[in-house]
Amino acid sequence: MTTAGMRRGGVVLTVLGLAGLIALYWMCFFWVSTEVNQGVIQRIFYVHVPAAWTSFLAIGFAALASGMYLWLRDDRLDRAALCAIEGGLVFATLVLTTGPLWGKIAWGTYWTWEPRLTLTLLLWFIFVGYIMVRNSTEDPDKGKRFAAVVAIIGALDIPFIHLSVVWFRSLHPEPVVAKPDGPTLPGDMLATLLFGVLVFSLLFFGLFLFRYAVEALRAEADLRARSAA
Amino acid sequence: MSTYLTQVWAILRKDLVLEIRSRERVGAMCAFAVLTGVLFNFSIDTTTVRPNEVATGLIWMTLIFGGLLGVGRTFHLESQDGALQGILMSPAPKDAIFIGKLIANFVLLFVVSLLVLGVFGLFFGIDLGRNLSWVVFVLGIGSLGFVAVGTLFAAVAEGTHLRETLLPVLVFPLMVPMVIYGVGAMMPLLSGRPFTEVEGNVRMLGAFALAAVAAGAVLFRYVVED
Amino acid sequence: MMMKNIVPRSLMLSLAGLAVTAAVTLAQEAAGVPPQASRLAEQNLRPYWHVFAAYALVIVVIGGWVISIARRLRAIEDRSVE
Repeated sequence: MTTAGMRRGGVVLTVLGLAGLIALYWMCFFWVSTEVNQGVIQRIFYVHVPAAWTSFLAIGFAALASGMYLWLRDDRLDRAALCAIEGGLVFATLVLTTGPLWGKIAWGTYWTWEPRLTLTLLLWFIFVGYIMVRNSTEDPDKGKRFAAVVAIIGALDIPFIHLSVVWFRSLHPEPVVAKPDGPTLPGDMLATLLFGVLVFSLLFFGLFLFRYAVEALRAEADLRARSAA
Repeated sequence: MSTYLTQVWAILRKDLVLEIRSRERVGAMCAFAVLTGVLFNFSIDTTTVRPNEVATGLIWMTLIFGGLLGVGRTFHLESQDGALQGILMSPAPKDAIFIGKLIANFVLLFVVSLLVLGVFGLFFGIDLGRNLSWVVFVLGIGSLGFVAVGTLFAAVAEGTHLRETLLPVLVFPLMVPMVIYGVGAMMPLLSGRPFTEVEGNVRMLGAFALAAVAAGAVLFRYVVED
Repeated sequence: MMMKNIVPRSLMLSLAGLAVTAAVTLAQEAAGVPPQASRLAEQNLRPYWHVFAAYALVIVVIGGWVISIARRLRAIEDRSVE
């Protein structure tokens, strides 16, 4: 795909995603029924879970692209990883801010070491580490390789972190028994959640393409500047 | 295979000889460990908490901070005067260099971890007699896991202009499983529970360490290539 | 280029999103209160504020990312014009 095509695709997907977001908000506020046990606060769930889904999608995508970058040494793969990481950081930030807002009402405290919340926090730090490593080398190629290693190791560590924080949690009593998702979710809630996942994925891929196009333009401009000099 | 082992041994021996002659890193790490024990003693009110219960956590934290101190400097000496380039240009494969460095770091950290165990046992009045061999075993696996991640990222951090400052940001999030399983295995052992009770934790710790060594050996070549 | 005015456009889009959220929340509070008045009288409105804050945050953070990408795009376009 050409850079211009990507930009157009990105803009189209982003606009679709934003329209979807408005529709999602409408569904969350007017359509979906209120959950019996938790009441209105449960509605945070419809943006929280899709954001979490998207940030884990982002690290998986970034690790894949990073691994292929180390193998094939195509700058496009590295750019894709960077853009996915940036998107992952944005969505992980959303998870980490909406999660405590929900927890304060449902659990009575802003922060608990709930496994998934803990995992997201560590994921957030992995994203930050990726960006820091990338920006702290003089040689850009070195930064790309280092960042790719960080993304791969981070993705490999996630199953371990997940298992360990779940195990750690099992040692401690739950502050308040509140399960964010029951084993069976009523139809309209499930529909809203799935629509939310769709909307957030659209936004992620739209903005990913848009961001990618910007990065590609920058690479072209850098190349021009270097050849002119 | 035997040439591979010879290459690993060459790197390992060089690092250990350097360390034995200069005692630079091991001295700093041991001093750090003992002084941390002293400071922890004053920062914790031993009349309100049972010291031997918090001691396990403190031992692991000291191990991680002290380990970062030493492991972070793995490539420091060689990055000066272009000595690292010399090693990398040798016919030894990159993973052999990594494994050699890793074992050298492991020996270093394991020695320090034994000192930490002894010092904290002394300062906090822990009865080390029970399960001592299993406790040492758990510390060994933990050190291996830490060193595997630490050595790889020490090479990364050495290539950036932030140097060691970057290391905690990269290493600490990845260390969570190690701390959880390490403390989870060591705390029951120190209070005299049988090994079978914590076997699952030690297995997870071992899986973490093995995965870290394997990933490091594969990815190291991409970090140091030029 | 046609993308030149992406910053004001995306800004307006985010603001529109925020306005819609605010309107929807207000409408929700206005419309939702009468049927459940007896139950709501016992509850406080704090959960509503948390939901509102969370939904506004989604708009602000994603909007912020859009704007930052657009600004970088403009910086590069300005550079390539010179």
